[in-house]
Amino acid sequence: MNNKSASPKAGKVIRCKAAICRIPGKPLVIEEIEVEPPKAWEIRIKILCTSLCHSDVTFWKSSTDLPKLPLPVIFGHEAVGVVESVGEYVEEVKERDLVLPIFHRDCGECRDCKSSKSNTCSKFGRGYRPNMPRDGTSRFRELKGDVIHHFLNISSFTEYSVVDITHVVKITPHIPLGIACLLSCGVSTGVGAAWKVAGVEVGSTVAIFGLGAVGLAVAEGARLNRASKIIGVDINPEKFEIGKKFGITDFINPATCGDKTVSQVIKEMTDGGADYCFECIGLTSVMNDAFNSSREGWGKTVILGVEMHGSPISLNSIEILKGRSVCGTYFGGLKPRSDIATLAQKYLDKELNLGEFITHEVSFHDINKAFDLLLEGKSLRCIIWMDKLI
Amino acid sequence: MDIEKPSNKTAGKPIQCRAAIATAPGEPLVIDEVIVDPPNSHEVRVRIICTSLCHSDVTFWKMKDFPAVFPRILGHEAIGVVESVGENVDGVVEGDVVIPHFLADCTECVGCRSKKGNLCSAFPFKISPWMPRDQTSRFKDLRGETIHHFVSVSSFSEYTVLDIAHVVKVDPTVPPNRACLLSCGVSTGVGAAWRTANVEVGSTVVIFGLGSIGLAVAEGARLCGATRIIGVDVISEKFEIGKRFGVTEFVNSKNCGDKSIIIDMTDGGADYCFECVGLASLVQEAYACCRKGWGKTIVLGVDQPGSQLSLSSFEVLHSGKILMGSLFGGLKAKSDIPILLKRYMDKELELDKFVTHEMKFEEINSAFDLLIKGKCLRCVIWMGE
Repeated sequence: MNNKSASPKAGKVIRCKAAICRIPGKPLVIEEIEVEPPKAWEIRIKILCTSLCHSDVTFWKSSTDLPKLPLPVIFGHEAVGVVESVGEYVEEVKERDLVLPIFHRDCGECRDCKSSKSNTCSKFGRGYRPNMPRDGTSRFRELKGDVIHHFLNISSFTEYSVVDITHVVKITPHIPLGIACLLSCGVSTGVGAAWKVAGVEVGSTVAIFGLGAVGLAVAEGARLNRASKIIGVDINPEKFEIGKKFGITDFINPATCGDKTVSQVIKEMTDGGADYCFECIGLTSVMNDAFNSSREGWGKTVILGVEMHGSPISLNSIEILKGRSVCGTYFGGLKPRSDIATLAQKYLDKELNLGEFITHEVSFHDINKAFDLLLEGKSLRCIIWMDKLI
Repeated sequence: MDIEKPSNKTAGKPIQCRAAIATAPGEPLVIDEVIVDPPNSHEVRVRIICTSLCHSDVTFWKMKDFPAVFPRILGHEAIGVVESVGENVDGVVEGDVVIPHFLADCTECVGCRSKKGNLCSAFPFKISPWMPRDQTSRFKDLRGETIHHFVSVSSFSEYTVLDIAHVVKVDPTVPPNRACLLSCGVSTGVGAAWRTANVEVGSTVVIFGLGSIGLAVAEGARLCGATRIIGVDVISEKFEIGKRFGVTEFVNSKNCGDKSIIIDMTDGGADYCFECVGLASLVQEAYACCRKGWGKTIVLGVDQPGSQLSLSSFEVLHSGKILMGSLFGGLKAKSDIPILLKRYMDKELELDKFVTHEMKFEEINSAFDLLIKGKCLRCVIWMGE
């Protein structure tokens, strides 16, 4: 990084390396690409590090149930970077600021962003459109000129990316880069779900279905809010030892419950059902289990898992009438512009323990190792360093 | 209102009186003499002053299979005077005016002490044919055959026995033919808006089904300061009726069938949608009509036992909407019924408009006819002498 007031490449195309997916499910290929300068309300970011989230893997694998993604595409949406240059009208950040790109939009201006009751920004409508949100075009090109598509309005598996200002949040430079990167998706989603969406309070009981990074982040959030019992449900028995580091107090392996259903076991453990149940996998059968494990009177079930087969959740009407509620959330109900800084501060104040989420680190040219590790269930978060050699 | 000082002559002894007995599914109730045992420990025996007919009585009157049982004394919306008390009864004495409530409020268990819900864990809600503590009946016919209770109330009788967890003492000066409504239906609707949904000033509310419950939700939403209360029903006449309860706009779902009309009308969906009919399919409609980001859908209607609500899991995740349900409007009977009664006495909550008919005990079957044909809201039945 140089000390000039303006980036030497401001307003110009940057040539850099990116990991490109051309064929679903095949290893990414690192190639030279061109990144256009940011247009109005956009910024260009130099990515410092990025991490692999299961949502990247889901779309990378692709399947007939998923909406077809235009190819070739640059994946990645959990990252931290430095602002290289800004387009017109950008006031929130300036060159050399440390920022997180956030897949979950926050314009700060629309009715939803202004309301404390939701985090579903409606500035550009409700649907997802590939590439840049305002004009639908891409800022990435192959050297021979063909378009390369963005992913989730972010695309972080590249040395430089262009992101709309509604998808950017400044972050304090006091926080280690690997931790900052985590706050840009999975960990914030889980902690937010416990803190903001469920409102886990002191002494409450929590059941978490699926102990991947998101489920463990829910546990960490529940621990932070002093839940008395945090029950983790996973078919991998190793997750219990791992889970203890994140506040899991009790563990259930559905494969070893014998004659009882998971919800029966949870009801016994909690004298009637958990106050809060979280589904963190994306399977409707598990969502149904989560609902059936919640306590009558006030039990809340929160869905975080992305289910892509279109199958319905099935809830018994009488059990709903008995005071239960069900909701879902993106990004843990958090408003990026205000809430990420809060989480960062809680980390700095040593209230939130996030270091244990980072289980592996690789350099950019080994990015496919990160996919292998996640697919083999060997990692939580693998940090991919753009400049460092690991 | 004349409260006859109960004589001690009947305390501790069985009372013979009239009751309207459901003898077979869908058959007119038979008014006959029954024997009502004295109250056991933690129970009170009550002389019913008025009772009103609620749709849930009709549901379990028509039903052929369990949890319907026969013979049974139905009725659960009422007001009465305590004739005698059993042992271990505190806070209620002979002569007190009381309102029975089908949803228990023992005030002591984890569920009752929690501010977050209103379901008693000591006496969980079920459609039981018995008294809640010992699973026996206090009713017999003159041949000595057991007659079953209904949701721990059984108010279609001149005398009934109630567990103290199902009884709240109220101001004796309240008009009984209005206060009895707070024993179930109106409380359920008003409570759903007030306590379950927590409707705030300026909200937009959509109510599916403008029966007494739906209209009570409208009344509750009006009291909470909602600015738009949209009523949805298949009978257009309900709009004129609904206006008196605060309904500001009406959608006849038979004519339009397309939920996007409500989404357009509300610029993206309602803040709160209430399902007050009891159809799983209608709950899905209501869910679709509430606003993404913060819309709440509240289920009040009771569908058939075992029925399932089906929602797209992706939609649940993506929409940020909340689906919730409640019994008895989320109210804690012993604290909230007196609050609502006071609001009626202070002329804030309006109850008179719910009573469309008043009749004598002997005419009880015509109340059933009127409700089934949709020609009434609440019929108040005076037990009287």
